[in-house]
Amino acid sequence: MQQFFKTFKVAFQAINKNRSRSLLTVLGIIIGVAAVIMTISAGEGATLEVQKQISGLGTNLLMIYTKTEHRAGAHVRMGKPINKKDFDMLQNNSVWISKLSPLIVDVAQAIGPNGYKSIAIYGVSDQYFDILSRDLASGEFFKEEEVKTAGKVCVIGKTLKDELFSDLDPIGRKIRIDKIPFTVVGLLKEEGKGAMGQDQDDIILAPYTTIQNRLHGHRRGYDIIMASAINENHIIDAEIEATELMRESHKILEGEEDDFEITTQIELQEITGNVTGILTILLGAIASISLIVGGIGIMNIMLVSVTERTREIGTRLAIGARESDILTQFLIEAIVLSLAGGVLGVVLGIAGNQIIYKITNFLIPTAPYSILIGFGFAALVGIAFGYFPASKAAKLNPIDALRYE
Amino acid sequence: MIPKKVIETKKLSRVFKNGEIEVNALTNVNISIEEGEFVAIMGASGSGKSTLLNILGCLDKPTSGEYYLDGIHVNNLNKNELAAVRNQKIGFIFQNYNLLSRTSAIENVELPLVYNRTGKFTNSKQLAKKALEQVGLKNRIYHKTNELSGGEQQRVAIARALVNDPALILSDEATGNLDSKTSIDVADLFVRLNNKGKTILMITHEPDIAQFAKRIIYLRDGSVLTDEFIKNRSTKESALKELELTT
Repeated sequence: MQQFFKTFKVAFQAINKNRSRSLLTVLGIIIGVAAVIMTISAGEGATLEVQKQISGLGTNLLMIYTKTEHRAGAHVRMGKPINKKDFDMLQNNSVWISKLSPLIVDVAQAIGPNGYKSIAIYGVSDQYFDILSRDLASGEFFKEEEVKTAGKVCVIGKTLKDELFSDLDPIGRKIRIDKIPFTVVGLLKEEGKGAMGQDQDDIILAPYTTIQNRLHGHRRGYDIIMASAINENHIIDAEIEATELMRESHKILEGEEDDFEITTQIELQEITGNVTGILTILLGAIASISLIVGGIGIMNIMLVSVTERTREIGTRLAIGARESDILTQFLIEAIVLSLAGGVLGVVLGIAGNQIIYKITNFLIPTAPYSILIGFGFAALVGIAFGYFPASKAAKLNPIDALRYE
Repeated sequence: MIPKKVIETKKLSRVFKNGEIEVNALTNVNISIEEGEFVAIMGASGSGKSTLLNILGCLDKPTSGEYYLDGIHVNNLNKNELAAVRNQKIGFIFQNYNLLSRTSAIENVELPLVYNRTGKFTNSKQLAKKALEQVGLKNRIYHKTNELSGGEQQRVAIARALVNDPALILSDEATGNLDSKTSIDVADLFVRLNNKGKTILMITHEPDIAQFAKRIIYLRDGSVLTDEFIKNRSTKESALKELELTT
């Protein structure tokens, strides 16, 4: 053990004597580790952001829609459309679902006092706001009464408000949607970009009855039924129950396949989690390559160092160093170099994440496990790529080494 | 009291095989060196000097024959034991000094103590200082090796060979890279160390340096040609006078 400390000191002296070369050697590792940390953290950051957006959709969300299949490049509806019968079936019989809202999506021209825009209109019930847990910046949501009477009222998002009203207060004012005047009753609180990059504030919400009956003639079906389970623990129960009720409503016989699909919040999170997870692994793998390149750099320099110091090695062997002493010395040199690179790389990686945050405002929380991976990999690289030069040094014949020119 | 034998070889032979060709570098060499002796080994290139030095220095093993160093039968030792023997019994001095570059004199002298596992030398700094004082480098202790002259570097190397108080000092052409006057200084240093009781074996091809020793062994074609004591040894003064005459 005491001998190990002595050898450690010797290795440290050797590194110190070749400071600039050591630093250059380490540079490869520094960049590699920093790259690993930054890419993994970026991937994690993106995952977190997406997860946050998805949970922002509402915590216990279920979406029920007609099954579609991809045929000849287009989505083709495969089952019966979803309609009021299905909605009533769920409404009247469900135990695990607390809130329900149809969703009808339409596109129309909206004209306000200060501008106009072609925009997506969501026809929903008053419960929709609860299901998606959206808040208001001002005004109020439309009421059940207005849904029943197909009232010409709407709630709009911030982006649309800016285009149609500029600085005017939209509450109580009218906008024309395909020539029909709607009164704005509420302005949604800004939500920002959604999970898939869509602007969640570029939106009009109106009673679905109004959309069905007044806009574009009569539409019977719904695009989606949005529902929320009574709480997060019963999403699965709600899904099973909804499936049964939907099968009953669609009169699907036992053994036949569903002609609808139900997606839950959990599934959404899993899907996007998978995608971003793959992304993280991919980025990390690419960054790891730079670490391996850094390791080869260490091996290269260590080999040069062994050749350059052949006579030194010969001298050490002649005056009583064991082969294992030489092996340990060079191995320690390689490991110290790569660990130093690892430490500096961690610092650079964390700093890099902060710099990206300062510049782009995209928060990358440095994932602790990325530090472990980066640092561990650096140590591994040091041992793996340091061993070959070290054993080469230890196996030198002292007689030849002493006379090496 | 019978003087202790530092080196004893019996029918020492070394054969190098190069494919089919066998080269007899040493054949039946019998040498016996007692404690306190100062022996020079001479011979032309290819006479087997270096091979003999490598074996005596425990860097190489004989093909046949016995070698006892300070009473230890070296033949049967493994690599690590040989390393320990080199570390504790032998002080090496090389033609090209073989000092660590960009390293202070004292750190160089300490080096053998780094690899000493007996735990005897706890105050390696002090021992190194003492060794450097012995070779007259008291004022150069913290100089880096590249800041020293050739003669000074070789004296650092001699201090390194002295520091662990070995049974044998083994010098391989120690004066080969030095000018005549510095060579005489180094040879004189050997004489003074020998006078203090150190056993010294030096290989050289310079007759005037060999003349400082007490005994000269001539090698030819891997065998001992002559082995005799010197009657009129050179001293620093006589050698310097000689040097003046020839120039």
